[in-house]
Amino acid sequence: MAMKRAGVSAMRALCSSANFARHAHSTSGSKKIVGVFYKANEYAELNPNFVGCVEKGLGIRDWLESQGHQYVVTDDKEGPDCELEKHIPDLHVLITTPFHPAYVTAERIKKAKNLQLLLTAGIGSDHIDLKAAAEAGLTVAEVTGSNVVSVAEDELMRILILVRNFLPGYHQVISGDWNVAGIAYRAYDLEGKTVGTVGAGRIGKLLLQRLKPFNCNLLYHDRLKMDPELEKQTGAKFEEDLDVMLQKCDIVVVNTPLTEKTRGMFDKERISKMKKGVLIVNNARGAIMDTQAVADACSSGHIGGYSGDVWFPQPAPKDHPWRYMPNQAMTPHISGTTIDAQLRYAAGTKDMLDSYFKGEEFPLQNYIVREGELAPQYR
Amino acid sequence: MAMKRAGVYAIRALCSSAKLTRQVHSTAGSKKIVGVFYKANEYAELNPNFVGTVERGLGIRDWLESQGHQYVVTDDKEGPDCELEKHLSDLHVLITTPFHPAYVTAERIKKAKNLQLLLTAGIGSDHIDLKAAAEAGLTVAEVTGSNVVSVAEDELMRILILVRNFLPGYHQVINGDWNVAGIAHRAYDLEGKTVGTIGAGRIGRLLLQRLKPFNCNLLYHDRIKIDPELENQTGAKFEEDLDAMLPKCDIIVLNTPLTEKTRGLLDKERISKLKKGVLIVNNARGALVDTQAVADACASGHIGGYSGDVWFPQPAPKDHPWRYMPNQAMTPHISGTTIDAQLRYAAGTKDMLDRYFKGEEFPLQNYIVKEGVLAPQYR
Repeated sequence: MAMKRAGVSAMRALCSSANFARHAHSTSGSKKIVGVFYKANEYAELNPNFVGCVEKGLGIRDWLESQGHQYVVTDDKEGPDCELEKHIPDLHVLITTPFHPAYVTAERIKKAKNLQLLLTAGIGSDHIDLKAAAEAGLTVAEVTGSNVVSVAEDELMRILILVRNFLPGYHQVISGDWNVAGIAYRAYDLEGKTVGTVGAGRIGKLLLQRLKPFNCNLLYHDRLKMDPELEKQTGAKFEEDLDVMLQKCDIVVVNTPLTEKTRGMFDKERISKMKKGVLIVNNARGAIMDTQAVADACSSGHIGGYSGDVWFPQPAPKDHPWRYMPNQAMTPHISGTTIDAQLRYAAGTKDMLDSYFKGEEFPLQNYIVREGELAPQYR
Repeated sequence: MAMKRAGVYAIRALCSSAKLTRQVHSTAGSKKIVGVFYKANEYAELNPNFVGTVERGLGIRDWLESQGHQYVVTDDKEGPDCELEKHLSDLHVLITTPFHPAYVTAERIKKAKNLQLLLTAGIGSDHIDLKAAAEAGLTVAEVTGSNVVSVAEDELMRILILVRNFLPGYHQVINGDWNVAGIAHRAYDLEGKTVGTIGAGRIGRLLLQRLKPFNCNLLYHDRIKIDPELENQTGAKFEEDLDAMLPKCDIIVLNTPLTEKTRGLLDKERISKLKKGVLIVNNARGALVDTQAVADACASGHIGGYSGDVWFPQPAPKDHPWRYMPNQAMTPHISGTTIDAQLRYAAGTKDMLDRYFKGEEFPLQNYIVKEGVLAPQYR
């Protein structure tokens, strides 16, 4: 393996583009596949379709082992002595998932001498150092589309939870209280409000379609304008300038991937320019926001409500400020790992493994890093 | 007044229909208007549009008093010594609201010798003994349409909260936990599920329109079929037999008024025939369902989730079983009293008072009891 790698490095030095990737698609012989998922413990047996957990390992163990491959599954991913680290030196394929992300750093990539392929069971591969993966000639792919509907539904749920002021009402119920005014003074209909989505890719578009019957003022910002047919269908208006759009919004939904460009894009300054009392939904990635700036703005009331299922890091530590700030409707990272979504990303992961074993291409939209190049949204 | 009333009864005894009601629409002279609303206390001053409270009294005090009428507003409605009771004997108009309902019993109607008009600021007038009101020749009217969008939005929010298993995730966050599996094992997308609405009146139809982009299997049961155009637009299928529809449903939404026919509609027997793990949303009226049967079914898991903002009675007592049963996502009665809805029902109430003073008719769809006859949905 060391020789092959030296050969690859040498060739790359000679050629201008990395034509010889780590043989992502030429594979004979038994492979070592490692999957990092969340543990289900007592929940594992409650649902036969609960495939996304360590205990079920996407439901592909028998299929892999019957072909002579080795399959190791763990939830232990943090620190130099964790289970994942033990298998890094010889694994060929690493399957990770955003809901319990294994942070695949440049350091870990260096150690992983046999590593050829990084698969994300789900969508969003920012937990991988994509630049390092590209430089090492790795292929990175995710199950594009597998949980886009799931996340869009979840975003609409959170918009309603915030604008209709659901949680204070729920708290009253479980506390034995009844005080309609304590909820109603700042409960609104979604109808007629201005909702802006930052990013109108797959999820953003599905959200806009679901928002349409609510009769809001829909705005979207993206690198590219969407299809005129879809703009017409949803009634959404393109906003070329993000900061101009943000000032108009009663509700802002984040729908971009986490990249070098978007990391920390919602900082103290940008937040301060948004409407007082703005409602923000972020099921995209925690690190797109400045953690403390959001906590401060929720405390002051400048952010009237913040709801999302993404944090940095994940799992979120016990003392993460978003747990305890007022005006929040947070959950752990769950929107894209409903049972329905798990079945889809498990099937998509299996499909890509099958293509990998056979030396075949993946669906083109699944590639995040390929032959030294990052997918457009990550550049 | 006593003579006029005797006269009315005498004439009614002679005529087959009650043509001469308590002269609802001929009014000269100062009237006594009493409004029963919820108290805002410290929340009253937080929002200039917060008109639905005792403190703001729908924002019509100046308008009423400048015309020489008397306006008394209270939240004190229960028991023989309450503030409302003191004013029964001489009030002409009683304004009530479902969010803090004054139960207008036959006994109270008897005491209210001057009473001509009962106005509901909102929709749903089941807190009034409508039969007794009809027999006494009273007019009952509500602000039809004033919060139908509000309630439909709220129902969709609750459908998503239940099917996506939001609350266990929120609980983990505020308890310092992180256990994705504890939520994901029974979190689903709404897409593809069978959703049935019991009742497809104004609110039911608005809900079906908002559900359309979620690509569910939509069913509805009602006395009458909806417009074929709307059926086509929403993709909703008519189910003539309620008990044939219910076992097909993953999710059931109640959208009927509370009448003699619908009281206790979902009893222990009917609940037992629903799918195991069924999700139920009830923003209609608490008494449509059997309180203990729902609590038992949530405890056993036969009902996988129950969410609503209506209870019997209201306010719900501290020990109401729905507060403490598992699988619930309850709030106090808020869906139809968002700020946006309050502004609409305040305006609608003012409009009807204006017509009352001028002896003019109300919009026809607002009548619940008119000239001794109940509106069709209440017969």
